[in-house]
Amino acid sequence: MQKITLKLFRYNPETDTKPHYDTFELEAEPTDRVLDLMEKVKGYHDGSLSFRRSCAHGVCGSCAMRINGQNMLACKTLVQDLKTSRITVEPILGLSVLKDMIVDMDPFFDSYKKVMPFFVNDEPKPAQERHQSIEDRERFDDTTKCILCGACTTSCPSFWSNDEYIGPAAIVNAHRFIFDSRDKGAAERLQILNDQFGVYRCRTIFNCTVACPREIQITQAIGEVKKAIATGSLD
Amino acid sequence: MALNRKVGFFKGLKYKGGGPMWAWILHRLSGLAMVFFVGSHIIAGFLTQQFGSDVGIAINIVYENWIFQLVLFFLVIFHAVNGLRVTLLDLWPALLEYQRESIWLEWLVIIPLYVLILFTVLKSALGL
Ligand code: FES
Repeated sequence: MQKITLKLFRYNPETDTKPHYDTFELEAEPTDRVLDLMEKVKGYHDGSLSFRRSCAHGVCGSCAMRINGQNMLACKTLVQDLKTSRITVEPILGLSVLKDMIVDMDPFFDSYKKVMPFFVNDEPKPAQERHQSIEDRERFDDTTKCILCGACTTSCPSFWSNDEYIGPAAIVNAHRFIFDSRDKGAAERLQILNDQFGVYRCRTIFNCTVACPREIQITQAIGEVKKAIATGSLD
Repeated sequence: MALNRKVGFFKGLKYKGGGPMWAWILHRLSGLAMVFFVGSHIIAGFLTQQFGSDVGIAINIVYENWIFQLVLFFLVIFHAVNGLRVTLLDLWPALLEYQRESIWLEWLVIIPLYVLILFTVLKSALGL
């Protein structure tokens, strides 16, 4: 067991005009996750603490938070990984805070919906499944891993300065279909991303790739989309 | 009411993006600084030539000062090499996987170049 000082961002829209921080002293195992600490605070110290969580196993994407200044999933971050006994948890940046760690994800999902994140192919259905070679499947494997947690988009300075920028998460999900050999909507998606608030808002800052809890090479995916737009070819 | 989404300059700076983010910030700052350098150089030249003004001469004194020159050289070289790095990465997205290494490589180019400049500037400044 180890003593942990947990500093939490607090904002209650019903009583507060300004956010503040609350500090809790807790006992924790080095293998406890930040999410466990927050559950402990909510269960034993202050039931009004609000944050999103569901799976607690890094798959649902609800628990993206700014932990010691960097976007991470609270359920995947172990106390020992942070290498300090002082842990600060704040909501992700660039989306309006509704309460404590809960932010309004609507603008994020609006951008996501814009890129048509679904399979498009109007050709007659084959008798069985649509076949794809191993190499063709490999082409977009990395971007299938996205869990839409928002850690990338909310770590991006371009997005902070303007939320009209479609953001890395939406581009990753566009990439997943653009480079899928079975899909026929690539041209339309590239058109959508070839916009002043599309891929060219990406300044190759790389915060998104560093923040991604699924280790997706996001900047690379964005680079590939930029190149596809510039050259008109998917190779 | 929900809190405004605005991310102020200092709040943004506090985000721990690490080396890649700082490279970007320094790139922006050095770009701005160059606009200022070149701008003041042009103004100084104009003022001295057209009006023989003392202001122009004063600006030139600052401009030719060796400390100023060292800062200027650093910012120009950083901006050029970092810009080249980002351009190459943008042209060959496959290289983006090695972007951390690319930053190391960048310093590997900048440091020897800068040492050379340091040596040359100091030599003439201190009359060695
Ligand atoms: S709770 Fe599901 S990803 Fe963290």
